[in-house]
Amino acid sequence: MTFKPFEIEARPNKLTWMTLSWLLFAVGIGLYLQESIKRHRENPDDRVIPTVTQLAQGVQNAFLNPAEEDDDGSAATLKWWQRLPHSMIWKDTAASSRRFLISLALMIPAVLLGLHIAMFPYIGALFMRFVLFFDKIIALSVLPILFIAFGIDELSKVMLMVIGVAPTIILDTCNLAKSVPREQVVKGFTLGAGNAQVAYGIVLKQIMPRIIASIRLNLKPLMLFLFAGEMIASTDGLAYRIAIMRRHMGMDIIIPYVLWVALLLFLVDASLRFLNKRWHPWFKED
Amino acid sequence: MSAQPIAAALPEFPVKAASKPAVEMAALALRFPVGRGQTRTIFENLNLTIYHGEFVCILGETGCGKSTLLRMVLGEDRPTEGALSIFGQPVNGINRACGYVPQKYSLFPDRTVMQNLAFGPECTLGPFKRWTHRGRSFRGEVRTEALARLKQMGLQATDAAKYPHQLSGGMQQRVAIAQALMMKPAILLMDEAFSALDPNTRAGMQSLVHELWRETRTTIIFVTHNTHEAAYLASRLIVLAQRRNETGAPVGAEVMLDQIVPFAEETLAARRRRPEVADLVQRIERHSHGAFSAAEEPEAESR
Ligand SMILES: Nc1ncnc2c1ncn2[C@@H]1O[C@H](COP(=O)(O)OP(=O)(O)O)[C@@H](O)[C@H]1O
Ligand SMILES: [Mg+2]
Repeated sequence: MTFKPFEIEARPNKLTWMTLSWLLFAVGIGLYLQESIKRHRENPDDRVIPTVTQLAQGVQNAFLNPAEEDDDGSAATLKWWQRLPHSMIWKDTAASSRRFLISLALMIPAVLLGLHIAMFPYIGALFMRFVLFFDKIIALSVLPILFIAFGIDELSKVMLMVIGVAPTIILDTCNLAKSVPREQVVKGFTLGAGNAQVAYGIVLKQIMPRIIASIRLNLKPLMLFLFAGEMIASTDGLAYRIAIMRRHMGMDIIIPYVLWVALLLFLVDASLRFLNKRWHPWFKED
Repeated sequence: MSAQPIAAALPEFPVKAASKPAVEMAALALRFPVGRGQTRTIFENLNLTIYHGEFVCILGETGCGKSTLLRMVLGEDRPTEGALSIFGQPVNGINRACGYVPQKYSLFPDRTVMQNLAFGPECTLGPFKRWTHRGRSFRGEVRTEALARLKQMGLQATDAAKYPHQLSGGMQQRVAIAQALMMKPAILLMDEAFSALDPNTRAGMQSLVHELWRETRTTIIFVTHNTHEAAYLASRLIVLAQRRNETGAPVGAEVMLDQIVPFAEETLAARRRRPEVADLVQRIERHSHGAFSAAEEPEAESR
């Protein structure tokens, strides 16, 4: 077998394909371990590039030990599943998830607003320009205003996410609703549908898979705003922990947290994709 | 293109005095704003009356305003000037007396064939009565009727559970016609409904629609740019042509030919054999300078 990296028509076999696709991971992990061993030979207390043992210890701490000393969930007598709900990563994940899910739920009104803007000319006239204006605003630049207006607790962080992502969702939905062929709307009316039946039963139902795809694309911005809010002003949450750990070089916690966050986001994305397929068997991506 | 009418290929038959007007257009004008204060005139002083029970084929080159004419009848495009009435009532908002079969997007892609057919009748039920006892029995009746319609259109009961994308183009249009018929429309509007179909399927669909008209005498307005199709199907054939001024700018479509076809009652197969039809086609072709397609169609599939 010949190796032809610059041939468009090349057909690598399965084994080569698998090897190549994992190669960079292997190289990355190898380099990391090498650097880690080297640094620990020079200084056994190094915290910048933790060894596998240190990482494992960090993971164990994160999953089994509470962050605050006053929590007695760490009592060694308890079983691991009793200690887990008191653990640092559990509580951080719960705090971040709550904010994330609230802002995800707030995307439902955003979708409805976008639909109404597209379908009903008067509502469109009222909101369209305003939403376009908000869309231009850089969400992080209004963070101080949010803190002043809503305080530094939950509301301001949720508002940050909503201001950051909602205009995109509204405009996306609006464009999707407008792209539904006019024939479908006219057809609906001739068949006796009312305004609500056309807007929800025909247009919304048809664009739903694309709306979910659009929300999937916006999960990352949503997380970005969540993390920004948590890093700047928070007392719990995944990003708060990462920010705190930076102060005392807690790489043994930060690295597992980063991977954990990536995994969570992947799982949310995958389940949305799964549900989308499941709910809309008729949908064909074109 | 000049405005002179085509010399009659067939003896002029007067429109049956007994039938009532279904669609009346009087001095109708339609202009679209095209920016910078300018307008594009699609129709200017259009006068046309379509009578109850007619199978009107509207023929015209692409872009001359055939679809727009249908959309006006549907109430989707509002005339800028003049009066448009359906069964004597001025058109105001989308017209529910009409069934609509467009060329594309004719079915709801997110619904099965059965759900597509049941959509119209269930709209009359309202959202909350669905699960009541009356609602359930009503939906049962709708299902039975839908299955009958499917059969009438030459589809199987097993197709009812399929989604539109699982059907061929011809089957989709059959379902679309069935869907429109579920509401028993007084006027059936078909906009190039068969243009995307291959010639054989198309011939089958033509006989289907023609039989439907012969049996039910529903008023049908059938838009096409195929001369043969129009000549085979119509009980009245209308040719639209865009009039242009000295600079070549369009100044509104006008009726170039308005011809009653006297042997409309005959079956499609019999009509296809008539030399008058070939003659009619030829005359239209000559006067339109080949503006619309004249591709010969294969014989209708025997069904
Ligand atoms: N909303 C609109 N605004 C401006 N021009 C339009 C609009 N709708 C249709 N037209 C124009 O009207 C003309 C006739 O269109 P149409 O009725 O679709 O033609 P046909 O169906 O005969 O091919 C076209 O030139 C089209 O560009
Ligand atoms: Mg058209």
